[in-house]
Amino acid sequence: MIPVIFGLTLRQLVRQRRTLLLVLLAVLPVLLALLFRFTAEDVTPARFAANGLFAGFIVNLVLPLTALVVGTAALGQEIEDGTVVYLLGKPLPRWMIVIAKVAAAWLVTAAVVVSCVVASGLIVLTGEEGYGLVLAFVVAVLAGSLTYSALFVGLSIRFGRALIIGLAYVFVWEALVSLFIPGVRFLSVRAYTLGVADAVTDAPARIFEASLAPGPAALLLTVLTVLITAYAIRRLNAYEVSERV
Amino acid sequence: MTGHPAIEVSGVSRWYGNVVAVNDVTFAVQPGVTGLLGPNGAGKSTLLHMMAGFLRPSSGDVRILGESTWGRPELYRRVGIVLEREAVYGGLTGYEFVRVNARLHGLDNPHEATMRAIELVDLGAAKDRRTGTYSKGMKQRIKIAAALVHDPAVLLLDEPFNGADPRQRLHLMDLLRQMAREGRAVMFSSHILEEMERLGDGVLVIVAGRLAASGDFRAIRRLMTDRPHEFLVESTDNRVLAQALLGDLAVSGASLEGDRLTVRTDDFTRFTEQLPRIAQAARVTVTGLSPLDESLESVFEYLVAR
Repeated sequence: MIPVIFGLTLRQLVRQRRTLLLVLLAVLPVLLALLFRFTAEDVTPARFAANGLFAGFIVNLVLPLTALVVGTAALGQEIEDGTVVYLLGKPLPRWMIVIAKVAAAWLVTAAVVVSCVVASGLIVLTGEEGYGLVLAFVVAVLAGSLTYSALFVGLSIRFGRALIIGLAYVFVWEALVSLFIPGVRFLSVRAYTLGVADAVTDAPARIFEASLAPGPAALLLTVLTVLITAYAIRRLNAYEVSERV
Repeated sequence: MTGHPAIEVSGVSRWYGNVVAVNDVTFAVQPGVTGLLGPNGAGKSTLLHMMAGFLRPSSGDVRILGESTWGRPELYRRVGIVLEREAVYGGLTGYEFVRVNARLHGLDNPHEATMRAIELVDLGAAKDRRTGTYSKGMKQRIKIAAALVHDPAVLLLDEPFNGADPRQRLHLMDLLRQMAREGRAVMFSSHILEEMERLGDGVLVIVAGRLAASGDFRAIRRLMTDRPHEFLVESTDNRVLAQALLGDLAVSGASLEGDRLTVRTDDFTRFTEQLPRIAQAARVTVTGLSPLDESLESVFEYLVAR
């Protein structure tokens, strides 16, 4: 039954106007890459790709924003418009619904963000020393987008205003608070994602270094994804459909 | 069947904070069409949501075919649900929408089941149109098709005739009657008395969260008709008419305030038969007769007070 829900969700997500806006957002790093390619002369391409493009723009902005919009819509939209009853009123264990929703949100988010990494990375690094950065960030955003997707699907089950709460998490907690409190990196999907990239790339520290060591980053990413998904399943099991129109 | 009532509601209450939406309701329903009648905000939807397993009762138990409905998704193999909210997947065609529901039920032949359900609600001609372009009545019908696609033994419908035009309404009523004839339990909610009259074999009247009356519709209708009625009477001489009316058994009271004559009767039928005769005998012409308490709410209030 998971493929049926997965397919239905994909169809709904792809048809949404806001998904189209995300594709436009994903084009920005490609434009930045082109700009760099044709203008910059005194910056190492690998340094720019790793810190400016991948970590600075894609992992900081494109990834969380895409995951937020897609993740909160995957199930949240149906909860909001009432169509969720067509899933809840079926002989399906609720964990199937959560898994299918997270998987669909992950696929859409990953498709947008990975294309963005590959396209902009190839523009900047073709013919240059790449240190496996493109592959490293592809793996990292694949992992990061799964955790973000689980997080935002879970938020949409728990809160009616998941989009606002998610925005606060991404832009206040991960982006702002982490500037002043270094310990925040242990509770930041962004920091975990960069840690995974650091684990895969063979770039030296002068080119790219994450604030969180690769081992803890991968472990925290896995643990968080499992915990959030389990929480989302629990919430959906206890979920009551309001009769308020 | 299993020997259990199709739907069994035992001492069920549901509250939201300090607000009691459903208050200690108990009833059992067998196969056939049963109407859940009550004014808007009476608690019908809350009750139906609990029957559908979408809301957890604060106390008591709701069972369908002998099983508690809360937290039992397996039960949906035998239950079809149509909620009042208009929501359908607007991007899908009618056919796709029903087929997705068939597939989510894990049916062996979703195409065949989909076509059968669409034909039942008479939407064959519009099945390839996106549901987002459907009228309110068509959306209602496609939702019913989705609820029927797995051939359920129990069908729960919340205000199913909302938005349907008179022809569609009759068609849907025929359909629900047919479902009941085939041995299913069909429960629908409505705040419209006429819908109950046409469809409900049995009626449950819900007012202010409580079960105010239950049983055969005709008996409840009689109860409603035989209750005390108040009329505003206009005539060529209200004072003479008031005196004449007070001598009749059907009239339990008459008051004249200024030129306004209000008459109270405990026997609606006799009063309406006697009024012209009494007026004629008193040589008074009745120029107007209007009920003062005919709203459905006042009927319900009376039933609750009994």
